[in-house]
Amino acid sequence: MASQDDLLAALGRFSEPALYILISLADGPKHGYAMTQDIEAVAGHKLGPGTLYGAIARLESRKWIEPLPAEDRRRPYRLTAAGQKVLRHRLESLRAVARVGRARLAEAR
Amino acid sequence: MTARQLLSLYPRAWRARYGEEFLETVGNGALGIQQIVDIISSAVDAWLSADVRHATRPANAVAAGGSTMTVRAMICRTKNARYTTKDSLIGAAIMIALAAIFALTGNAAARGGWTVTSEMLKTLSFSIPFSLSMPFWLMKGQPWKAQVAIVGGTTAFLIVIGYVAAVT
Repeated sequence: MASQDDLLAALGRFSEPALYILISLADGPKHGYAMTQDIEAVAGHKLGPGTLYGAIARLESRKWIEPLPAEDRRRPYRLTAAGQKVLRHRLESLRAVARVGRARLAEAR
Repeated sequence: MTARQLLSLYPRAWRARYGEEFLETVGNGALGIQQIVDIISSAVDAWLSADVRHATRPANAVAAGGSTMTVRAMICRTKNARYTTKDSLIGAAIMIALAAIFALTGNAAARGGWTVTSEMLKTLSFSIPFSLSMPFWLMKGQPWKAQVAIVGGTTAFLIVIGYVAAVT
């Protein structure tokens, strides 16, 4: 059975944008424009609109995020329980990798 | 080039599901080169990705609760008409443009002394443009793998036939 990391990595070039979207939605629902603004502020990375909706479609098809009723022409999305699980696992994995990287850097000094 | 124009590159189901919010996200400002490239490459992805097709299936799009009228109109069109007048015009324009390219390239090849190539291009100046235009109208809505196989296979056979006709 594929691990949670594999599930996110299976999104290919959309795995990083998808991770940003999951992180952006972790503190509450947001629509597309709010997500791009939040991701730029948090990660310093401006997602193109095509990439954003390519990643949203993939996350939606996996039921990691779900759409809420539209507000005017903007549709907010929220993280599902499955999406929270995937995000939590991915962040734990990244933390472990960062810990090893920092330790190796400290040894090299 | 505007976001609305680029949106027309996406599949109809995608436009019905994400079109409005996509335009709202992009805004009305001028698009940069990076944004244009991003939108075009993602349009190709939207045509090819099974995930994206799944997310934009009419049933899922209606369940998402947005653009319901657009989605219903899309379902009706799918049932009642295989392709629209706009699709036919796009197909015809592609056919004419490609036929002109074949004819001009054929003439240039003749002037350059490439007789066989010139003959091939002139012989195929209708059939290959017609074949390549099919995905935009006659085959619209069919699975992309079927389109690639049928158009690719037909084009390959036409090239062989054109070559044989040119050298014999």
